[in-house]
Amino acid sequence: MQKPLQQIVAENPYVPMPVEIIKIITEVETKDIKTFRLAFVNKEDEERFKYIPGQFAELSIFGKGESPIGIASSPTQKGYIEFTVQKAGVVTSSLHEMEEGTLMGVRGPLGNSWPLEFLEGKNIVIVGGGFAFTTLRSLINYMIFEENRKRFGKITVVYGARSPGLLLYKDELEAWAKRGDIDLNVTVDKGDATWKGREGFVPTVCKEVAPSKENAVTVICGPPIMIRFTLPVFFDLGFSKENIITSLEMRMKCGIGKCGRCNVGSKYVCKDGPVFSLAELDKLTKEY
Amino acid sequence: MEKKLLKKDKLSGIVKKMAADRTVYAPVQDEDNVLFKILEPGMEPLVAFANTKNAPKKVFFPHSELLVKYTRSPKGMVFSAMPEEAKEVVLFGVRPCDARSFALLDMLFDQEKWKDPYYIEKRKKSAVISLACVQPPYASCFCTSVDGSPTSTQGADILITDLGESYLVEFVTPKGEALASYFGEATAADAGAEAKKKEIAEKSAAAIQSKIPGRAIKPILDVSFEHPFWDTIAGKCLACGTCTYMCPTCHCFDISDEMKGDDGVRIRNWDSCMFPLFTKETSGHNPRTSQKQRWRQRLMHKFKYYVDNFDAIACVGCGRCVMSCPVNIDIRKIVTDISKL
Repeated sequence: MQKPLQQIVAENPYVPMPVEIIKIITEVETKDIKTFRLAFVNKEDEERFKYIPGQFAELSIFGKGESPIGIASSPTQKGYIEFTVQKAGVVTSSLHEMEEGTLMGVRGPLGNSWPLEFLEGKNIVIVGGGFAFTTLRSLINYMIFEENRKRFGKITVVYGARSPGLLLYKDELEAWAKRGDIDLNVTVDKGDATWKGREGFVPTVCKEVAPSKENAVTVICGPPIMIRFTLPVFFDLGFSKENIITSLEMRMKCGIGKCGRCNVGSKYVCKDGPVFSLAELDKLTKEY
Repeated sequence: MEKKLLKKDKLSGIVKKMAADRTVYAPVQDEDNVLFKILEPGMEPLVAFANTKNAPKKVFFPHSELLVKYTRSPKGMVFSAMPEEAKEVVLFGVRPCDARSFALLDMLFDQEKWKDPYYIEKRKKSAVISLACVQPPYASCFCTSVDGSPTSTQGADILITDLGESYLVEFVTPKGEALASYFGEATAADAGAEAKKKEIAEKSAAAIQSKIPGRAIKPILDVSFEHPFWDTIAGKCLACGTCTYMCPTCHCFDISDEMKGDDGVRIRNWDSCMFPLFTKETSGHNPRTSQKQRWRQRLMHKFKYYVDNFDAIACVGCGRCVMSCPVNIDIRKIVTDISKL
């Protein structure tokens, strides 16, 4: 007799929990980045999928494969989880073809997370570039949730994209801008006719915003080129490597430290990461 | 630990009796090779052999393994079934180096946080009968340099040692003791047998000429990731991956999907850090673009990363990679050279 699926997924980290795509949002004008809102088919799985911002999951499409994607929703949002996915390979392309109502699978939550306990009581600077804003969005929504907001100090956000049409979560950006408790700085490399906001690269905007290093932690995610030019800005502002946190990406399969491909030195990005402080990264090899 | 003496001509019959009751893997002659295979009626389990060409890890971690089955539904692909439960298995004639590989793989697949149910189930339902090496089978053997020995019981449930006139059968674990009934004809081992075993163990270990500084290179590896030495090791490597496929402790795998009609399977297959695609990302970015980087990964994984994570060297000194490399890359020489950096 086969065990019920709920029991199998509880015992076997390789078997995905069934989820239904309940909403698809096309995020960008190029239409190659979509947010998928997924609801668990079995309520027990929703209970089991207890996650923290910064974690990821393997999106699982039977017949195609799996893809590790950061969780874009916040655990304060109940009844569903969200993933913002760029169309790139076999699995993500297949996902982009799917419609609301389709069943697929999720394995997770996987990896460590943004270090919430470390962040509590501090001023938080969020720096994001382009498509790498997803788990930062999770963190922001977590921190500004009513019951959580008082546990964090000043929240400063610098978020940039190449053009206005490539900004993610536009409705949320507007809502955040209306709140009095986030210093939100949205920028684009180059605006268009309708763009009334800021123009300029993320490193330059960080320099202008110049967040104080006092009791502050910077959480940064973005394309390598953005990271490369932004870090010196924060070093100049006096941020220590212990107080700059980022998230790594590597090719993954199992997501649980067995299949052997995502290690950086002795650490597996899937299970020991993906989140590391720059101080921790300094101790690892530079093979990522 | 219970110890018994068994007349030498009885062993083959005992193994065949076990094979009648359950699946038994044993070393068997297969054309020019000795292979570790399921013992079928009419096949003779070998006791006098060097070592099997293939490592026995495949019993617990098969080349290709079903993870989950699925099928098409009106709303998309959905789960349909799990693989059948593992059967009870006996592995007979495992050399002590290969038995140690199970203990090393247990550290990874049976970790506290993330457990691999496929491996663990097969491992739990198996018993390992080791055959001690009364003399080192190959000149390339170097188990004593990587925390092993030709008579090691690590990873074994029963250890059988050829004392010349008879076999000493040591029941190492409860799983081994559970097979004691098959050894009904064996008699209690006396102090003389134990002394003889000790003598053989010392002689066999001393006969292993090939030595490498297994643990000693760890502090050197800790600080030499960027050392120019790595440029010198992989020039002739063909990236064929043979070393990783022959290795009893290599455990890297790929997960892939296969469909036929409306039904499909998700399977895992052995993969290799020697292959360029192993780490290549969808974006095209690859953290390890050169064979030098991939060789460094393989060596570091075995002699540094595994030590960092599990306090064990992920090499049992079987020498299969040394013997099977088509371009004669010798891990023993690389380790020795590192010790001189």
